[in-house]
Amino acid sequence: MKHSYILIIFLVTAFAISCGKKLDLQPKQTIDAATIFSTEADVEAAIVGGYSLMGSGAIYGTSYLLNSDLLGSEDYCSWRGTFSSQRQIASKTMNRNNGEAALMWSTAYRAINAANTVLSVLNIVTDVDKKNQLEGEALFIRGILHFDLVRFFAKPWGSTVNNDHPGVVIKTTPTKTEEEAFLRIPRNTVAQVYTQVINDLIAAANKLPEDNGTRADKYTALAMLSRVYLQKGDYANARDAADAVINSDLYKMNASVSTVFDNKNTAESIWEIQQNEQNNAGTANNGMATFYASLPGIGRADVRMDLGFVDSYDNNDLRKILWYYVGTGARPGNTYCGKWKSFSQNIPIIRIAEMYLNRAECNIRLGTSVGATPEEDLEKIRNPLRTNLPVIVAPTLNDVLVERFFELAFEGARIHDIRRLKGSTGSFAWDSDRLVFPIPQIEVDATGGVIAQNPGY
Amino acid sequence: MSRFLSSMLAFLVFVTGAFGQTTEVTGKVTDQSGLPLAGVTVSVKGSTLSTFTNADGSFRLTVQDKFKFLVFSFVGFQELEQPISATMSVSLTRSDNILSEVVVVGYGTKLKKDVTTSVSKIGSKEFQNLPLPSFETALQGRASGVFINQGSGKLGQALNIRVRGLSSISANQQPFIVIDGVPVTSKALGSATEPDNPLATINPDDIESIEILKDAASAAIYGSRASNGVILITTKSGKVGKTKVSLGYFTGFSRPTKKQKFLNAAQYRELFTVAAEKSDFGVLDPADEFMAETGTDDWNGNNDVNWAEEAFQHGSVSQYSVSVTGGDPKTRFLVSGSFNDQKGILLGNRLDRANGRVNLDHSVNSRIKVGLNLSLVKSRNYRVPGDNAFSNPLQLNALPPLHPKYDPTTGKLNTATLYYNNLIDQVASTNLSTTFRSINSAFAEISILPELLFRSQIGVDFNNLQEETYNGRETLDGAPTGVGFNNQVTSSVVTATNTLNYKKKFKEDHDFDALAGIEYQVGKITGASVTGQAFPNDRFTKIASAAIISAGSSSETEYTFASYFLKANYKFKDKYLFGGSFRVDGSSRFAKDNRYGVFPAVSAGWILSEENFLKSSRVISFLKLRSSYGRTGNAEIGDFSSLSLYSASAYADIAGIVATQLGVPNLSWERTDQYDIGIDFGLFSNRLTGEVDYFNKTTKDLLLNVPLPNVNGFTSITKNIGSLENKGWEFVVNGNILTGKFTWRASVNISTYRNKVTKLVVPVPPGTRTLGRLKEGEPFGQFFGKWYAGVDPANGDALYYLADGKTTNSYSAGVDTIIGDPNPDYYGGINNKISYKGFDLDIQCQFVKGGDAYNMAGFFQSVNGDYFDNQTVDQLNYWKNPGDVTNIPQPRLYSGNGAGKSSRWVQDASYFRIKSINLGYNFPRKIATKLKLDNIRIYAAASNVATITKYKGYDPEVNSGFTGALNLGHDFYTPPQARTITFGINVGF
Repeated sequence: MKHSYILIIFLVTAFAISCGKKLDLQPKQTIDAATIFSTEADVEAAIVGGYSLMGSGAIYGTSYLLNSDLLGSEDYCSWRGTFSSQRQIASKTMNRNNGEAALMWSTAYRAINAANTVLSVLNIVTDVDKKNQLEGEALFIRGILHFDLVRFFAKPWGSTVNNDHPGVVIKTTPTKTEEEAFLRIPRNTVAQVYTQVINDLIAAANKLPEDNGTRADKYTALAMLSRVYLQKGDYANARDAADAVINSDLYKMNASVSTVFDNKNTAESIWEIQQNEQNNAGTANNGMATFYASLPGIGRADVRMDLGFVDSYDNNDLRKILWYYVGTGARPGNTYCGKWKSFSQNIPIIRIAEMYLNRAECNIRLGTSVGATPEEDLEKIRNPLRTNLPVIVAPTLNDVLVERFFELAFEGARIHDIRRLKGSTGSFAWDSDRLVFPIPQIEVDATGGVIAQNPGY
Repeated sequence: MSRFLSSMLAFLVFVTGAFGQTTEVTGKVTDQSGLPLAGVTVSVKGSTLSTFTNADGSFRLTVQDKFKFLVFSFVGFQELEQPISATMSVSLTRSDNILSEVVVVGYGTKLKKDVTTSVSKIGSKEFQNLPLPSFETALQGRASGVFINQGSGKLGQALNIRVRGLSSISANQQPFIVIDGVPVTSKALGSATEPDNPLATINPDDIESIEILKDAASAAIYGSRASNGVILITTKSGKVGKTKVSLGYFTGFSRPTKKQKFLNAAQYRELFTVAAEKSDFGVLDPADEFMAETGTDDWNGNNDVNWAEEAFQHGSVSQYSVSVTGGDPKTRFLVSGSFNDQKGILLGNRLDRANGRVNLDHSVNSRIKVGLNLSLVKSRNYRVPGDNAFSNPLQLNALPPLHPKYDPTTGKLNTATLYYNNLIDQVASTNLSTTFRSINSAFAEISILPELLFRSQIGVDFNNLQEETYNGRETLDGAPTGVGFNNQVTSSVVTATNTLNYKKKFKEDHDFDALAGIEYQVGKITGASVTGQAFPNDRFTKIASAAIISAGSSSETEYTFASYFLKANYKFKDKYLFGGSFRVDGSSRFAKDNRYGVFPAVSAGWILSEENFLKSSRVISFLKLRSSYGRTGNAEIGDFSSLSLYSASAYADIAGIVATQLGVPNLSWERTDQYDIGIDFGLFSNRLTGEVDYFNKTTKDLLLNVPLPNVNGFTSITKNIGSLENKGWEFVVNGNILTGKFTWRASVNISTYRNKVTKLVVPVPPGTRTLGRLKEGEPFGQFFGKWYAGVDPANGDALYYLADGKTTNSYSAGVDTIIGDPNPDYYGGINNKISYKGFDLDIQCQFVKGGDAYNMAGFFQSVNGDYFDNQTVDQLNYWKNPGDVTNIPQPRLYSGNGAGKSSRWVQDASYFRIKSINLGYNFPRKIATKLKLDNIRIYAAASNVATITKYKGYDPEVNSGFTGALNLGHDFYTPPQARTITFGINVGF
């Protein structure tokens, strides 16, 4: 019997000792940040992560586009959905806890952190071309997101003489530790943010290859640069950047106005958010089609077109015929925008049409005809084949702007164009406090007020 | 740790063996009246050797001389210890004495009178034959200190069990559950928005007793798992004697406890005609507006459909069960099986369960015993959608009565309705969760010395859940071509436990027992799911037929615990009691820098009634003072919360990675310190017994999300930072009011808890639709928002209070203030057991006083016709003319008059409920014998018989499953519980 007791003692002891060794476990569908970056492929995966964040509903998957059009909704569209954040945006009654504002802010900075992280681990990448490409993409992401942040969360360019009014926080370093995560950084001025954006995009254009598949390349950066310059009224630079994109000969207008929305990565598009059936901004509570569409089984028909706006298109205009339709799904019988009809469609962020419009507008404003005449540029947009409308001979600035609003409707340009043209939406002037998003209150609180709230909130 | 191990080894090593002479003992056991007792367990104290008495009460045993005592035990009788002699004549005393009960405690059992901690026990007799939706509901109103909110009448749905208040904010709040020594999974495994209840797979009929370890001193032996209390379940086991077969059957029906009344067509037209006319958007035409919103001309039709009624179906329940028990002195067994089928009251809801069980134990020789508990369950739950889904049948009550149920042209269910007509789901959708579960354990006990018992046990809880849904092409979620989803989750928890138990009485006055143990546990959950779209037609429902595989995933997570524990009890002169325990838990969940937690506890008791000054008291038959302190933990903090993590994030067809979590290198368990002081008493020869407890529980190191400046790329970081406290009283009184032919036993319990959040990083305000909030100094889940002040008699405007107590018609100007508290002031139960001759009657009542509920759907259904949702009938009492005094503002379509989230829909949800009535009749033995049976019992049982409440919604016991832990008492189209009436028969032979 005694032997069996010794055996028990032995077994129990061995058991006790082995238990303590089994406490080190690693997660299976997530990876410890301490070991994540070891090869070039890991860095590339991180930059793709940046794109996936940009494609999420909180950035270009929905919010940064939709909310621009909702902010300029007067005589244009109305929000019919139940979500109060969007309703507040459309009615300019946002409060400091607006959910869209919070998500747009935090997700953009999350993507910026991804870009900054990539920039901090580039030394792992040995191939020079690959390194340039990844660096360019990271700078591109950082640049355009700071630009869109400052457009939504600060009073517009031109609100003060020197543009030294508060912009957004410029973030160029990654967060890797708890201590860094608690840093309180104040807002930079609008002028500083624009300078940072332009520097990032110029550097990106220099680093990026001419062709980078469906991801950002040199011309994507230049096209965005044209948009940035135009926003600050720097017409010469806006024109020249647009001209460089057009001259690349990589992009051309599609024959039909619906092709760019119904197909993926067509000739007309400079850069699109890529989506597919599995990975898209969402089929339930986010996504362009979710809010815009009214088709059987697709869409909540939350954004209803204003008939006055739709009727302001010429009746023969194929854009009116192909881009607007009477809903047959949710809230049927009303008019909806046909640019957004499928959950899995790609989302064009910048099209060559915008470059023609930019170049035409700047040439008219500057009295130049760099690249082409305004008439030739506008003809790319409006012509008998594409829109079933005659070409406008010797277009005025107003002609170009009218076509711009028709062409870029419901693609996220609305409020930004109203602002730079110093116009108004309804009774809200271009620089109204009510057209500026609140800094999320949780952000003001988390920084102990170091990040200051916008006026009016 | 090594010192700990060596002390344990030392404990093991003083094993010596000395075996000497033996004596043959014979004897007879009778009751007080001299009738022989068969099946009495006769065991040799200090060894595992035991036998059972024969039909004539006699027994025979061969005992080594070193053993001095025999212990006689039998259900319903007081245990007796007698010195060994060659022939023994023993008389056992019948025991109705609650104080001589044996209770199960962590890693052992104890006489209730010796317990120095706070433990509630619910025996199987308390809940047998009741149609329980799941076993935990048996505790409701029966166990003091245990607050249960079943949440809804949905079958298979998780319910809230809170032992002595709420001990966590973000980690789990449910108690730790151990079945026959095996820790089991009680957390939802499924993917549905509303959590499922893995405990619904456990057959209540298999349970012998449920013990709840409430204070820290009883629970601390479970260390880092015990902060929310521990529920120990002991299953029935075989008994020596002739083999007994029991058959049971019951069947019955169920209906909702209450339905709500909504407007009929005429009332609807009346209200909305006024609403359209008085709209802030001008005088509107109701027919036009109805057309604009619904796309139908039903305003001008002549339909009058009671949509609210359509949500319900006639429920039913039936159960077949059989059990066979028996055994001889060497081997005892129980084999049981049952099939239970419940059809819920909510359309499409069903739960069935097939159970099988084998409990076996075998004495190899006088020193070694082995045993096995095996259980197998298959359960199928046809689930209903979450409260918040348009497909929730109860949301049908939002549909205007003007819509026809069927489309008059096609004859099919009408699709042209204000919201989705989810009756379509009934014909074109299925949502089935199938569970296979097996909870098993095997053990060996070796009596190394008479005083020293080694026990080794291995337990496995295996749970496989398969969720399968198909939404047809006509349904909201399946349009346009059908959507199928299949999710497989497998959870396993394997626990190996080795304990060494030393028990000895020294010199009559010193009782000592101690236990040392080592436990290792590994838990693993794996999952795989796939979603398919585009099916040829709705008869193809398997994903093999889908044209598009639109989503798929697999996942795995794992945790381990390594634990070392010691506990000891010492009793001096049968009246001074001391206990202590000490556990060290190491876990993979805890950060590397902080891997082992220490959980000590001490307790003491003083049985005053054993003292000379009370011994002769005629009034006080038993009196014990006890007090305890202990520390417990909550390790349900997530498996990898301490690490900084990257997750995959796809960009269309390319895979990327994104940072998803910023870790904290010293993240640990949450820690609870609890003091308890209590009195156990028995008066008038223990005809009146009871317990009083006061507890004070402080929880620290609560995991909270600390908000980060978002510009740094993360929104929050999880740290051990918060604290909260719970204090409360528990009172239990049991009385044998009448004894003799007509017996009446009654029991009353009342418990309280006062919860207060004492430390937060930032207050957590209510959500956009919810009211629950967190604030320092206030209870968990307190309701906070605008304070509705009724209606301005002058103009019908909704009014809200301002900070100065005046009122305003501007919602935004109204002050945000405390407008309710979902935590009860007190709660409890009243239980009565009456028997006369063959009849027995159980009536159990349960009550909650002072908890508030918020009807979140009020914004849609009780909002004086702000939108076209059908309204509750009380809205007809709207303001009509200047001077009208009412609480319902003037209807104004789309205008939001009184529509903002406010105290308008907060109500007192106190209730008193006759929870169950069970009337049974045991046929006289003569009749049974004639039928060649041992016993026959027929009975009728009813649950949720009647509810007294002022709550105007469906059911005051409400907790919508989708609003999250913070939003207690929120009602959102939440179905009521069922009133069930069953009839049953049990026979034994």
